[in-house]
Amino acid sequence: MRLIDKVRKICWGREGWIFILALVGLWQAAGELMSQKDRYLFPSLAVSAKALWLSLPELFQGTVSSMFILIPGYLAAVVMGVVWGILVGTTDWLQRAFTPFARVAAPIPPTIYIPYAIALMATFRLSAIFVVFIGAFWPIFLNTAAGAVAVPGRYRDDAHILGLSRFEYRWRIVFPSALPHSFSGMAVGLALAYILLTVAELFGANAGLGRFVQYYADFADYPRMVAGIIYTGLITFLSMKALEKIRERILFWVR
Amino acid sequence: MALSRTQTLAERPCGLMVDSVSFAYNGTTVLEEINLRVREGEFLSLLGPSGSGKTTLLRLVAGIETPARGRITLNGRTVSGPRGYCSMVFQDYSLFPWMNLLNNISLAIGRVYPGLKRPEKRQLAEDYLAMVGLDGLGRKYPFELSGGMQQRVAIARALAMGSPFLLMDEPFGALDPVNRTKLQDLLIDVWSQASPAKTVVFVTHDMDEAIYLGDRVVILGSFPGRIIAEVAVDFPRPRSRQSYLTAPRFKELRGRMLEYFQQDVIERLEAVNTIWSTREGI
Repeated sequence: MRLIDKVRKICWGREGWIFILALVGLWQAAGELMSQKDRYLFPSLAVSAKALWLSLPELFQGTVSSMFILIPGYLAAVVMGVVWGILVGTTDWLQRAFTPFARVAAPIPPTIYIPYAIALMATFRLSAIFVVFIGAFWPIFLNTAAGAVAVPGRYRDDAHILGLSRFEYRWRIVFPSALPHSFSGMAVGLALAYILLTVAELFGANAGLGRFVQYYADFADYPRMVAGIIYTGLITFLSMKALEKIRERILFWVR
Repeated sequence: MALSRTQTLAERPCGLMVDSVSFAYNGTTVLEEINLRVREGEFLSLLGPSGSGKTTLLRLVAGIETPARGRITLNGRTVSGPRGYCSMVFQDYSLFPWMNLLNNISLAIGRVYPGLKRPEKRQLAEDYLAMVGLDGLGRKYPFELSGGMQQRVAIARALAMGSPFLLMDEPFGALDPVNRTKLQDLLIDVWSQASPAKTVVFVTHDMDEAIYLGDRVVILGSFPGRIIAEVAVDFPRPRSRQSYLTAPRFKELRGRMLEYFQQDVIERLEAVNTIWSTREGI
């Protein structure tokens, strides 16, 4: 086999890893080649990795603190978004009443609530939970409602024939049928939740992932900042992956 | 039993009565002045091309839609809403994909016997599955089954609802010919053993299927849907496919029905498009 074919055979299927490796290599090379002054602003791979390693305990604590905001806010958004989405999607008058308000309220960027929420609520944590909740709620609600409206006619006919009650229809038919839509909304909601979480923490927290990056920015400790960014990215990635795995298990019938 | 069922059928009361029913959709008349009398235990084939409103008629009987004019009564009760009075089987095997077969059937059983405990419901569901030849497969999900098997489960579920009326909307239309014949025989098997006797309204656009299965074939024309003709199928049961399809009487029935169809088509064409059938041209 020619050399080029051998190389191709090894690379096939692993192009993703190769790309990431290339980026990492570029980063390290850039670090070596930069002037002393620039090296201060753009820490090399080695320096950032060391900072990451040293900050792990602090980062871990920050994660725990952030989770105390993210999890309550996100779970509340999931529960309320799905329930309200199903109700609005299956009740005509509710749909007519709520839709105009939803059209106006949903697009408001939740970041704009942050200062007011901080001023209004008793603790910072509460205000952050509130903002995370608002951010995740709308995509989950809108997608679930769309899923409820899109229930195939034959399921509705079946439920009619079987004589199911309104509650049973919503719980056994509409809810499972709309779940794929709900999960799309949940993925978007999770991404938004992380964005809002970190922004809120930049503002006013005294612990947490966003706080970590802001704190070391105040000290101009760039290696630690970069470490914080990488770490936060990793946490977000793992969360989305977890959501995906949950989705696969629950939506076993969707091909 | 070699006795012709049509003899004893005439003595039975009318379970399903359709009186002067009309239905329109978006301004177009879909059904016009439908009058029908179906006897208890009768197997009625509703034959018609697309546009004849046969699915609509079935939905009216089931109570999913309400007629614009006229009235439908089932065993004396006027149909005013679905509420689980008829069993129905649709063409696109509408089982719920997130429930396994037993749970799908148990849903219907729960309608009839609301007080029944879960294990008992499950046992009953197993019995219905066995009736359609799928015993032991209860824990499987619809997406794991072929089309023919899913339709069997749909029939089992319709039976589990325990209604004296079984409505079927081209249930075998999406199946290959082999599966279709198997399921036709299964349907007749299950229907003839049902006690008390079930009244079946079977919608199809397949003439052979309509004649093979039915005690009577009601032919619908299209645009708008109305009854063109009624043909009694006085073949004795049980019917064997072999002798049945070669019998000259069958060919005669088939020929007569084709005539009705063609006559209707020509009438419609003449009325709408002024195509002259008795002069030069078509």
